[in-house]
This record gives sequence, structure tokens and C-alpha cells, in this order.
Amino acid sequence: MESQIYKLHQQLINKDISCVDLVTEKLNALKENTNNTVNATLDDLALSLAKKVDTKIANGKTIGLLEGIPFGIKDVYMLQGTTTTASSNLLKNYKSAYTATAIEKLLDAGAIPIVKENCDSFGHGSSSENTIFGAVKNAINPNLVGGGSSGGSAVNVAKDYTVFSIGGDTGGSVRQPAGYNHVYGLKPTYGRISRYGLMAYASSTDCVGPIAKSVEDIRIVLNVMSGKDVKDQTTYTSAEINAESITDASEIKSVGYFKNFIESDAIDSKIKSDFLKTIEKIKAKGIEVKELDFFQSDILVSTYYTLAMAETASNLSRLDGSNYGNRIDDKNLKESYAVTRSENFSEETKRRIVGGNQVLSQGFSDEIYLKSLALRDAISENFEDDFKDVDIILSPVTPSTPPEIGNSLKDPHAMYLSDAYTVGFSLGQLPTLTVPQGTETGLQITAAKTKDELVLKFANFLKDTI
Amino acid sequence: MSKIMTVDILSSIKGAQPSEAVNKLFEVIKNAQTTNNTSFNNNRNHCLSLNDLREDEVIESSAIEKQIIIENFPKEKNGYLVVSKIIEE
Repeated sequence: MESQIYKLHQQLINKDISCVDLVTEKLNALKENTNNTVNATLDDLALSLAKKVDTKIANGKTIGLLEGIPFGIKDVYMLQGTTTTASSNLLKNYKSAYTATAIEKLLDAGAIPIVKENCDSFGHGSSSENTIFGAVKNAINPNLVGGGSSGGSAVNVAKDYTVFSIGGDTGGSVRQPAGYNHVYGLKPTYGRISRYGLMAYASSTDCVGPIAKSVEDIRIVLNVMSGKDVKDQTTYTSAEINAESITDASEIKSVGYFKNFIESDAIDSKIKSDFLKTIEKIKAKGIEVKELDFFQSDILVSTYYTLAMAETASNLSRLDGSNYGNRIDDKNLKESYAVTRSENFSEETKRRIVGGNQVLSQGFSDEIYLKSLALRDAISENFEDDFKDVDIILSPVTPSTPPEIGNSLKDPHAMYLSDAYTVGFSLGQLPTLTVPQGTETGLQITAAKTKDELVLKFANFLKDTI
Repeated sequence: MSKIMTVDILSSIKGAQPSEAVNKLFEVIKNAQTTNNTSFNNNRNHCLSLNDLREDEVIESSAIEKQIIIENFPKEKNGYLVVSKIIEE
């Protein structure tokens, strides 16, 4: 089975390559890259960890599968002693005081963090242009966006600068850039991986998500990061997913797709025809395919953004420059807060904070915020009914191919609508994987809550089918 | 004593105004059909069991964590955080 992690692990234990050489090679590639994927490289930490791995191998000791494997971290995760900027001006010099649980688990398994990766500021964007580090350029065509918000992470994996990267997915921020750069990206079931140490955007849909070049690598990294964590009380205990179990997809008897996604005027004609060809190939394998009814895209996008903005307005209210961040002092505390936030937040971040405060304020909350919560429940109910009929839901990742750099920031409403196919699964808190097959921007495989294993099974099935 | 709180004050962002792009999203919600407008009467919300809460105890931060928190102070004097003049109204 294809796995970049296994391959490198074998090379390390065979002494075909030293860990220091491997890490050095990746660090050099990151520094020389022109795709703007890097906020900071972690040379000292990475090289000292690599030396330890080499010593262990030289002494004939056994190393774990992830030991010595270089990986990237979206710059919204805490890693003690490193700068965590969220690609923002406000936190450009902020140093993590502690380490996120998901990252800690990878460190405990011996993986080596080599880079903090560029992304949309605080996860606010779908193109990785909303960043102080320069727009992330697509791995396949540098005139196009890298996707977002985990754009730097997806491009680094696609370009082999990292073996895998850890992105964050609130409304599609792992799945969409994975699709734009032709790699795998998983948004696990909400609560499978602890959010502790992930800078909060919208807490009710924020998910830690691995990006890699193979299903097997996604499985390995997912297993390591999963599990209950007292520091994030929304986490749950999950069983390990075995390598062998995901090679057998015989239990998947039926697949559904949302016909309104495919019949929409907004979908690119090539994405539509490629998607329908994939459906035919699945049918030819004897799997029943059902057309499903779903909410219109504008309802999905509006529900998601209303709730996400309300949550981000609340989460980002702590960023006032008092205890940390790029404070700008003024005549009194209140003015200092306002000037600090006005000068340091990007236009897109301010737009979302203001939108969130609008819907949370008296007179608006019933009409918009509470109604959005009710719509979210209706969306979840729709999913529950669908999964009584089908095992898997398949959908395109995006209605269109990646836009050119510079276009998304000009028309924020169009950018919000481009998330039409990803946000519904976030609201449903469902496990969804982007696979780099089927359409120009890939396919999304979704299963019922906690059935992440089924998603990986179907990904392996698709790999052999299309 | 009631005061109208505009979004720039609520958001602590000078001169902030509602945006057209975001208002378009809200219009969709206003016009959407739902069976009810309350979401608190079902079991779909991600709730926590009272029997499964973490212990309510203080956990001391490590020395390095404390040191970094101090390093992050925008202004520091003798190990203490310096803040702007407090609100006088």
C-alpha cells in the first residue's frame, strides 16, 4: 500500500538516509520555495530532534513509525516556545506558552515539526490570501490561489516540502486546499481530535485535520492524534483504525449524492461531467447510487457563516493587546483596545467580527442567530435521515476550479459562496475526506458521525475504481 | 441609562460598519423557512454529561509556561504587566 511515511521509515532504519539529512533537505526546500507557504521554519528544534533519532538508530534501537518523520503545522497551533502568529499582525510576535494536544501526541510519537505554515489569518478565508506573509501560491499553477484557510499546509504536502501537515478545518479549510492542490485532506468527526491549543475560530465546527499524499498516511496520523482529552471536553474516545480494515470496502452497499449540488447553475461544467462519470464507475462496481435532496447552497453558506461569525466575534474578543499581542497604547484602556484591534486585524477578520456582533446583538439574535441554529438542526436531521438510506455521501469539493490570486479578496460574498459544498458537512460535524480524484478539485467522501473508518475504506475503494 | 451600542463599539473596532457581503448572508437566513426557531429541544447539540466533567482543580503551570507568558507581555515592569490607564467614565 502506498505510504510516504512507511517509505521514509524504511529508508531511516536501513540507514539509506540519516534523519538529519532528511530534515535538512526539507528545511532547505521550504526556505527556497516561492509559494509563500512558510511563516517560520523550526531549524533548531527539528535538527536537535533529528540528531536524537540518528543516535537511536546508530545504537541499534527500534524507532516508531513516525519517529524522524518531518511534518508541518498550520500557524494556528501552539507549539511551546515557537511563534504562533495565525498569519496576523496582532500576533506576529506571539510565542506559544504551551503545546496543542494534537501536536504533543505527534511529538510523543517522534514526528519532527519543521515549519509553521502560512494560512488565512485566524482561518478567515478560502484562499490563503488574507495573511501578512503574502498569498499562498497553488502547487500546480502558481498564478492560482493555494486555497484556504490551510493553504500553506496543502501546498507543502503537494510539493513534498513536508511528509504530512496538520491543518485546521472549520468550514472546509483542510478539504478545499487539499482539493486545489491534489492531495488528501481529512476533516474528522468533530470531537475525535482535541482542539486544545488550536486557536479558536468557530468552536462548534473547528476540527484538527491531517493533509497527506496517501490514505494510509492520513490513517496513521489520525490514529496518533485521536482520543479523549480532558482539556477539550467535546472530545470522545475512538477506536484505532487498522491498516487492514480499510482495504476492504465490501460493507459499503450504497452511495448518495446531492442532486442540487450537481444541478446547480454555479457548478463548473467539467467538474459536473467528471463527477457524473465517477458516479457511473461506482454503479458499474455494483454499488447502488441514490440521488438525495439537500438544502440549497445559499442556505448552507449563510447558516454556516452566521454561526461562524458569531463564534469568532466571541472568540476573538480576547485579542485586545492587554496581556499579549501587538498592543497600541492610546489615551485609556478602551481606546487602546479599539486602536489595537482596528490597526492589527485584517479587513476580512474585521468583517467577520462585525458580522458576528451584529447577529448576537439584541433585535437581531432571534431573527438571525437563533434561526441559524434551528437551520443547523434541520441540516443535521437531514443528514441523519440520509445515512439511514446510504452508507456514504459523495460530492465535489468545490463548484469551481481555484481562482487567480487577487480575485477572492475583491468579492468576499463570492468567496463565501465558493464554500457551498464543504460547509454543510462542518455543520453536521461529519467525517469528510477530500481525495485528489474524480474532478479537477477532487471529491469529498462523507460518512455518518464517528464513522471515519468508513470514509477511509471508501477512499481506498475509489483509488482502485477511478 | 440605556445606550445604543453600535457595532463599532460592540466590536472594539474604530469606524466599523456592517458590510454588504455579510448582510446578503443574513437576508438569506431571514427569508429561510424553518419548522421552528428554537434549537434547544433536541438531542443533536454536542452536550457534555455532568458525570463526565473534568475535576475542578487548579493545575499549576510549568515554569517555562509562566516565563513565556511574561515574555508575551506587551509592556512589562519588574515582572508585572503594565496596562494603559483604566477607563474613567
